[in-house]
Amino acid sequence: MIKITVDMDKCQHYGQCVYEAPKIFKLNEDDKLEYLATADDSELMNVQAAADICPMQAIQFTKE
Amino acid sequence: MSHVLIVGASMGGLRTAEALRRTGFQGDITLLGEETEPPYNRPPLSKEFLQNPETKIHFNLNHETLQSSLLLGVKAITSNLRDSTVTCDNNETYSFDYLVAATGLRSRSLQFPNNPQGQRFSLRTMNDAEKLRAAIAPGKVVVILGAGFIGCEMAASLTKLGCKVHVIAPEAIPLALVLGDEFARVIQKNHENHGVIFHMGMSVTNLLGDSTVTGVELSDGSTLDTDIFIEAVGSLTNVEWLRDNDLDLSNGLLVDTGLHALTSKGALANVFAVGDIACFPYVERDLPARRIEHWNIPIEMAKRVAKDISYQESVDVADFDPQSAFRPLASFWSDQFDMHILSYGELHLANSSRLLEGDFDNEFIVGYYRDEELVGVAGLGMRGALNQYRTEISI
Repeated sequence: MIKITVDMDKCQHYGQCVYEAPKIFKLNEDDKLEYLATADDSELMNVQAAADICPMQAIQFTKE
Repeated sequence: MSHVLIVGASMGGLRTAEALRRTGFQGDITLLGEETEPPYNRPPLSKEFLQNPETKIHFNLNHETLQSSLLLGVKAITSNLRDSTVTCDNNETYSFDYLVAATGLRSRSLQFPNNPQGQRFSLRTMNDAEKLRAAIAPGKVVVILGAGFIGCEMAASLTKLGCKVHVIAPEAIPLALVLGDEFARVIQKNHENHGVIFHMGMSVTNLLGDSTVTGVELSDGSTLDTDIFIEAVGSLTNVEWLRDNDLDLSNGLLVDTGLHALTSKGALANVFAVGDIACFPYVERDLPARRIEHWNIPIEMAKRVAKDISYQESVDVADFDPQSAFRPLASFWSDQFDMHILSYGELHLANSSRLLEGDFDNEFIVGYYRDEELVGVAGLGMRGALNQYRTEISI
């Protein structure tokens, strides 16, 4: 299991993460980021890629 | 065991080391860089980090998974690609099986007839930002030469900190060369509403002051007194250490579509460029190879190079064709005052642009076209809609 947190004070809703891990991150109708706080281990590479590409470096995750 | 030597320990170098481990590379990795600071993220230097010293900008370094030798404060001086060695300023010579050149850029500094150095700054490194931050205080007058992204972002940050900011640049509208006139006018107006004073169509012809800058002389003959002078006039590629290897270093390091360094006799399978110095070719356009200084490019290049090396090392790399061309979608963003600008594609290819959505008084998206082909989009706000254009861009 992967636990995901996004620092919403940092997040500027650029939505880059959405393309790396579309099952976890999305922009809602108001262009604000929404995300799942936990993900299956199979998403690890995608969540890692999303964290790397975040312009604000606002995504943290831990594998449990 | 094979040894990957990564020269340059900023984001591109770090991401290459990480990607190598993720793809299953089991050999040795050495990551060395000139700065003494562990790898950190540069974009906040002109923004959050300048405004708040508490801002955390270092990348997470997981030594356990990285399993690499990290050598900081070590600068590559020369290299001999035939012997597969790199010699550094610590008098050590490192041999490699694979070399990744990720030495990036340094700021350009201009020479003036009168050339004082005190109270004069540029911004590329954490050290630069710390020095600048120590010099600024509310009420200080700041002159910024250059109205590109770094210049404009610093203008916004320093204005927010209470400085009186002047921006001088030769073009007619700040950022017009990148974003086109209409988009750029919106940005200029926003800055002016916040108190930034632009001196456009102008250059700095001389500096005033003995050992410390006290003012600047403009090309129209007028002068401006200032407490602080910042040059934001672009950068130079750190490729001197690669000289005398039959490489093309005229604009960074010229590589092929797989990011392998090119010599007059062909590509070197074990020498790569990653990041701002990589000058890489178009695949379907008859145009000169280009460097792209956008933040997402090193990340994409790191993944590509790591796969190539692992593949050559007979690691089973999923979905990798070594003959495929590296074709990234470039992306940049910029935060200035309350404006959040986001772009995809290569706007410099465009010969026309037009408003796609929204209006210039609020949020909007501009499309950039080369003939009738969409080569890029940029927008203020409207993220969700903007992101939809990613797949329509053809480079």
